[in-house]
Amino acid sequence: MRDGINTARLGIPAVSLVTEDFWPQGNFVAQALGMPAFPRVQLPHPLAGTGSAHLRSVAESMVAAIIGGLKND
Amino acid sequence: MTELMQAMDESAALEMLHEAGCTDGLPVVIPTPERVEALVLATGLDADLQLGTMGPGNGAATVGKVATAAVMAGCLPDHMPIVMGAVNAVLDPLFDLAEMQSTTHCTAPLILVNGPGRHSCGPVASGFGALGPGHRANASIGRALRLCMINIGGARPGESDMALLGHPGKFTYCLAEDEEHSPFAPMHTELGFAPDDTVVTVIGAEAPHSVMYNGDADDPEDVNKLLEVLAIGLANMATNNAVLTGGGAVVVLNPEHAKILHDNGLDRQAIITRLWQLTHYPTEQLSYFSANFAARIKSDTYQCFTKPEDILLLMAGGSGLYSMVMPSWCAGANRNQYVSKKADVEQFCEVPGLVALLD
Repeated sequence: MRDGINTARLGIPAVSLVTEDFWPQGNFVAQALGMPAFPRVQLPHPLAGTGSAHLRSVAESMVAAIIGGLKND
Repeated sequence: MTELMQAMDESAALEMLHEAGCTDGLPVVIPTPERVEALVLATGLDADLQLGTMGPGNGAATVGKVATAAVMAGCLPDHMPIVMGAVNAVLDPLFDLAEMQSTTHCTAPLILVNGPGRHSCGPVASGFGALGPGHRANASIGRALRLCMINIGGARPGESDMALLGHPGKFTYCLAEDEEHSPFAPMHTELGFAPDDTVVTVIGAEAPHSVMYNGDADDPEDVNKLLEVLAIGLANMATNNAVLTGGGAVVVLNPEHAKILHDNGLDRQAIITRLWQLTHYPTEQLSYFSANFAARIKSDTYQCFTKPEDILLLMAGGSGLYSMVMPSWCAGANRNQYVSKKADVEQFCEVPGLVALLD
């Protein structure tokens, strides 16, 4: 979340990817950094170590939401 | 009859308690007779009932003294079944409390809570940061036991508690198993208790050591690598478990690591058996690091744990890369065994006027 906000502050469109377990922390950081409505997309948790096939499947299912976030839909 | 201390006000009372060495160094709730009485009442027992003798000072652990420590620690009446269960556990001769309090090793009573009392007597946290700050029941219950060990057991650093450095868990060290999300049977049911029992298990344990493992579902050796790093953490050659051997230890799996093990068909018994096997070492290895301790071993290999069941295994914490292991002291007449006690949740009374008292 912090990286996404810092990237956006440089003028680069950004959306943060936050896994389910870290969603509350993402909300906290967004609030603390003064951008509570910063676009983010929720990913399942866990992701790490779940295998390349699962990672690809998650990535494919999230593409539309990520593009939507970048376009601020 | 306990002699009452007199002070002008609560600030003066706090300074008196600090001065008398009755605190853990942090501010305490002043144990006024009314506050102590409320927690005694919550136990459903008589204040003068002696639960046992607490070493090394051989103080009589009465319900009243335990309640006094619990008040000082900030406990609520609801916490008392767990406090009493923990006190009863360390008073069991198998626990070797007097020896544990006196050792130079860094050991503290780790309180593990199972069963419905995790909710009704707390809640005792079992998720993110369960061993850290911010969880009142975990903080207060563990602290109550420590204050008993100080004020009833007489443990004072450098005088009767000879821990060279100690560790932060000596302030408080308490968590629950995350039974609702664990893929394994609740720990207490595999220790012989019923699922509906509230059980407090206490073991003298080192501070938690992190075990990092980044799972890889594409790696056929994934589960074996996880077991290997857990075993290294449990009993590497710098631990008492690998040198003195014969004691217990704790593994707290995070949900991701628990899932890897479960998805590979391992239940708790299979996991602890594998960890027990992975901590069989060549005696030559012990001879290299600790020749004196190796001299007692006549075989070519030795085992760090006498049996798989000496390893307590539970799931708690947030989901991520890190599990925790807690090696132990492995000394005392009973080699630092864990002790489990059923908490008498049924005996506990509602405390009349509690809200007014706390106000």
